[in-house]
Amino acid sequence: MKYKNPKIPEGINVSKEHPLKDFFAMLIGVIAAILIVIVILSFIAEYMVRFIPFEVEQALAERFQQSTASQFNQVSNPSNRHQQIEQYLQQLANQLAKAQSLPEDMPITIHYIETEEVNALATLGGHIMIFRGLLEKMPNENALAMVIAHEIAHIHNRDPIVAMGRGVTVSIALLAIMGAGDGAVSQQLINQVGLLTSLNFSRQHEEEADALAIQTLDRHYGHIKSADTIFKIFMEQENSLNPPAFLSTHPLNERRIKKVTQHPSSKKAGTNKPLPSWMSDLLQPLNLQN
Amino acid sequence: MIDLIIFLSLLTLGYIFGRLAENRHFKSIIQREEDLREILTFSERLPSPGLGPVETTLVDGNVVISIDYFKRFAAGLRSLIGGRVNAYETLLERARREAILRMKAKAKTAGAKQIINVKLETSSITKGKKQQVGCVEVYAYGTALIPSTQ
Repeated sequence: MKYKNPKIPEGINVSKEHPLKDFFAMLIGVIAAILIVIVILSFIAEYMVRFIPFEVEQALAERFQQSTASQFNQVSNPSNRHQQIEQYLQQLANQLAKAQSLPEDMPITIHYIETEEVNALATLGGHIMIFRGLLEKMPNENALAMVIAHEIAHIHNRDPIVAMGRGVTVSIALLAIMGAGDGAVSQQLINQVGLLTSLNFSRQHEEEADALAIQTLDRHYGHIKSADTIFKIFMEQENSLNPPAFLSTHPLNERRIKKVTQHPSSKKAGTNKPLPSWMSDLLQPLNLQN
Repeated sequence: MIDLIIFLSLLTLGYIFGRLAENRHFKSIIQREEDLREILTFSERLPSPGLGPVETTLVDGNVVISIDYFKRFAAGLRSLIGGRVNAYETLLERARREAILRMKAKAKTAGAKQIINVKLETSSITKGKKQQVGCVEVYAYGTALIPSTQ
């Protein structure tokens, strides 16, 4: 018997297809599937999370309160000055909440935070943080009221809990997908996709909150003068070297200004209510300290 | 954003160098297989009849090959949807042929014309650890038959 060593043709075990072609087909398919899953889950989460009673949200917020307070180095033993400002903000917020017909069982709690940040934010449980940096830039009460009314509108629309519910749902789903794969797989990719969609959703919430805030101002003051001040301040910030970090989640400022100037109530006459005179006295010495 | 840039550059680097290395390796494998063509390998445990007197010796060859970052990512995507994992197919093909070639080279130095009882062992070095580029070891061994000079 004669043995021979036959020549085996190449390409039986290794496919001749270009690896990039295969790769992009997979990539596009997987990204599309992830996006669809995220969108569907976000819609479901957004719908379901509104059924969480506000008391539960408040209880949830209490657990976060400690960490949030330390995050913004909130003083545990506030000075008179701090209390006076916080009280004033709280009163203004209460008036605005009434003007917005916020349900009685959804109390607003204002926290005045003494940092340079030009920012204000609404979190779980009806807590609103106002930063000194923002307060310093406010020319009158109407402009400040617009900011507070905007944050109250977020709470009114239950945006914080919706955003959290969506965030938690989406991250659990993404973890599940990653678990199903290699584990090492596409972790970065998945993170990026998740971030983009969550940004997109909160823009819509911002626009809704803007509309409700303008309506509130109209009801409280009888006009909406200075409602666009905050956006002008943000626009300035954007143009300067140091834009506020949260800016990217907000709709374009020009568009927001336009929404205010095109509002039917913008033609109503009225004067701006100045900030209380003691306010500038209290903010001034602080500046020197820093 | 920085993460994404790092990730994309790793992917590109992995693709370019991985592909260069693979093409070069395949070329070399095909060339050496041609050179060692006269050495026959059998999985049979016993020598073919009528071979005449031979001396025997153990010959072996092993190789460890790693996949690149790009292939790991591609294989990861594939594991989500299923199907032929092209990235790993080339890896194992290269490893198996290279291991056999190294074994054959040893047999040639020993003056053998045939290797019987050839076996292949494959093991994953990274053992499925996460966040690690996978590499595979293939070990080929067999009994070389050296025609007896007596």
